[in-house]
Amino acid sequence: MSMTSESTQSQNASFGGVQARAHAAMNAARISIRNLDFFYGDHRALKGIALDLPDRQVTGMIGPSGCGKSTLLRVLNRMYDLYPGQHATGEVMMDGDNIIDPKMDLNALRARIGMVFQKPTPFPMTIAENIAFGVKLHERLSKSAMEERIEWSLTRAALWGEVKDRLQTSAMGLSGGQQQRLCIARTIAVRPEVILLDEPTSALDPISTLKIEELIDELKHDFTIAIVTHNMQQAARCADQVAFFYLGEMVECAPAAQIFTSPKQKRTQEYVTGRFG
Amino acid sequence: MSDSTEHLVKSFDNELKRLRDMLTEMGGIVESQVASAAEAIMNRDSNAATRAVEEDPKVDALEREVEQFVIRMLALRQPMAGDLRRIVAALKITGDLERIGDYAANVAKRSIVLAQFNLPYSLAGLAHMAHLVQEQLKLIIDALGSNDTAKAIEVWRSDRVVDDIYNALFRELITYMMEDPRNITPCTHLLFIAKNLERIGDHATNIAETVYYAVEGEVIPDVRPKGDTSAYAVVRPKD
Repeated sequence: MSMTSESTQSQNASFGGVQARAHAAMNAARISIRNLDFFYGDHRALKGIALDLPDRQVTGMIGPSGCGKSTLLRVLNRMYDLYPGQHATGEVMMDGDNIIDPKMDLNALRARIGMVFQKPTPFPMTIAENIAFGVKLHERLSKSAMEERIEWSLTRAALWGEVKDRLQTSAMGLSGGQQQRLCIARTIAVRPEVILLDEPTSALDPISTLKIEELIDELKHDFTIAIVTHNMQQAARCADQVAFFYLGEMVECAPAAQIFTSPKQKRTQEYVTGRFG
Repeated sequence: MSDSTEHLVKSFDNELKRLRDMLTEMGGIVESQVASAAEAIMNRDSNAATRAVEEDPKVDALEREVEQFVIRMLALRQPMAGDLRRIVAALKITGDLERIGDYAANVAKRSIVLAQFNLPYSLAGLAHMAHLVQEQLKLIIDALGSNDTAKAIEVWRSDRVVDDIYNALFRELITYMMEDPRNITPCTHLLFIAKNLERIGDHATNIAETVYYAVEGEVIPDVRPKGDTSAYAVVRPKD
């Protein structure tokens, strides 16, 4: 289902009007998913998904555990290729290429679509090496260009001020929130087009969480972002559009303001109000 | 969209029920205030007038209680979708009900002054208006208790009739005042009474819109009937 918001934008009265103003129109799709099925062996974990990730906007994915939202993220950068017996069918189009085509160059794909996981996963190296590691796989940079890249990505990840005097110390010494921002810096260092965030703040304290959310707001000026989260308030705060998944199907996708004030589907309504899940 | 299923957290359901009960209680008091005020004018009944005025502090206290409860629920439950709409709707509706109570009290106070005059004309138009407004109010309080959008739309549409009667009364009262300056004091009170009743109808219409939005998640798909034209009325004596 492509995201059109005409139906909700006609509302302009005093009460409902807040939601009409609260969201602008969606941008053109950066990634277009159609008829996507995904299988863990014989188990069909995604069923006929159709979803657009609008360019330089944030798509939030919500739904109870096992609904397929993390599976979808794993499809988007072909993470599942690491595991035998898992396969996808359908179309995940980006710039005219089908991401799930077996002939896709996975290294190039993962440079274009970066991913950050639930638990911070810094490499056991220095802070600077953490950033440089991924860059070296794709680019040959001079020492000064690499230093610039490290500063740029740490600055974009709102971490530069905190680590600039200790770049040569181990990343393992950073706090959880700092480690997660380091992982985001590492992801954007290779200058991807799309960033996938799989519950990026579930292991963080509230302040670190807010810093990551502020960062997401910043990053969406340059990157297309998809975020899986169990925290509905977080989806409401961060996302431009929100997709609700249930039992491997995408039930509803709409601007965040609509999903959280007047969802169209009964299942969505019941989930976001805490009636099941 | 129906919310027939219960929350995983039962105490949230209990709080939503309590919120609805508070509004229903407030609606009941306001309804009886308007009834007493109407009785006070029609029957020159000062006891009825006193009843309407004395209920007002109760309504004000309930409004504050609802407001505090809503703020508490927003902060602690962080409601979404239908729950959010209903809780915010309660906040708006409690304000409308409080205004209705104020207007009823004002009508009652004026009825006491009015009782000192001998009115040489019939109050049938005003009685009819008061009756219609009471009907609207009863219907919308029912709709509020049962989330009945059909009733809400009925109230919303019927406001037009109240406005028409108000416009007619406005002209009628001005002619009485032109006929005899001694009519000016009672007729001015009657004008304010009519205007207050008309405003009560408007607030009932507001509640209808809010109930519809809370239940459906959409605004009423129509243009609001707007019928009070007295703001533009000019009545001149014949040359």
